[in-house]
Amino acid sequence: MSVAFNRFAPSAFFLALLAFSGFSAPLSAADTTYGEGVQGTEVVLVSELLTHPDAWVGKTVRVEGLITDVCKKRGCWIAIAGDREFETLRFKVKDGVIVFPVDVKGHRAVVEGVFARFEISEEDAIAKAKHHAEETGEPFDPSTIKGPQVVYQIEGIGAVVK
Amino acid sequence: MSEGEPLRPGRFRWRRWNAVLHRDAGYLVAGLTVVYAVSGIAVNHVEDWNPSYRFERVEERFEPFAPTDRAEMAARLVRILKLPGPPMDAFRARPHEIELFYDGWSVKADVLAGTAVVERPRERPLLFDANFLHLNHAKGAWTAVADAYAATLIFLSCSGLLMLRGRKGLGGRGKWLVAAGLAVPAAFVAVRYFS
Repeated sequence: MSVAFNRFAPSAFFLALLAFSGFSAPLSAADTTYGEGVQGTEVVLVSELLTHPDAWVGKTVRVEGLITDVCKKRGCWIAIAGDREFETLRFKVKDGVIVFPVDVKGHRAVVEGVFARFEISEEDAIAKAKHHAEETGEPFDPSTIKGPQVVYQIEGIGAVVK
Repeated sequence: MSEGEPLRPGRFRWRRWNAVLHRDAGYLVAGLTVVYAVSGIAVNHVEDWNPSYRFERVEERFEPFAPTDRAEMAARLVRILKLPGPPMDAFRARPHEIELFYDGWSVKADVLAGTAVVERPRERPLLFDANFLHLNHAKGAWTAVADAYAATLIFLSCSGLLMLRGRKGLGGRGKWLVAAGLAVPAAFVAVRYFS
């Protein structure tokens, strides 16, 4: 018996460790929560944020809309379509904090974060647009960007994708 | 002393058990270590590529038409491009550019230019699943399995340090190699704090 114990005990120990670690947890629901989810209740329209941006800079906002684009490399941002046509607002997180899968495009989302304003130089704006064009496979003409740019985006806290 | 011999009563031969557990733990986690290592290399280069997906893009051409409203443009493109039914949703970045969203893929069209690009993300074989595990996208029970795996790696590291005695053990050349192995990451951390 001691020989059998010596032979099989180590393997049994590690197998037990791995087996007992595998008790299942509940599966995710149809809506998927990212980051800290959304806590607030009042929704702010994208059109309101983009029409009167300075009134909202620094405030925590909750926005709903269609996801029209997602970062193809790190999944660190999504673009939310506004209530007005042709408008989108970027919801951005630090790399790794939230990773949006590429197939969230076309789904509706509720996002929450701090509305932020950035001024970027012409050089940085061109680099950013060039990077986006490379990600999306679209042509890019640097002459379309003139001078420093003001960019508004939501610094993400959480999101729920439906 | 060989592994097949039973323990002699009165003395716990910890070094023998250390070697036996190290061996068996090594066998158990060998496969998962290769999975994590390959995934780790892949995600290290996320600046250069998407480690889980490749994006298949197919360009199509059609007879250009004048932009109208979003719903009408979407319906017309579904007919012209013979798409599988109405999209989940659609969005226009500009009046003549529209993107139709389907489940997991999309079609972006410029109706004035008469061009459309069907974009479909494809999971990279094997690598997608390796990343799925390594990055804990599975969540839930996998978190516990991954924690147990990490604990096993810590055990392997510590038991490996204590495996040998003498000149080739931790007290001999081993301590220099351990110091060298820690020196490189320590240098990177130091640069972060002092630069």
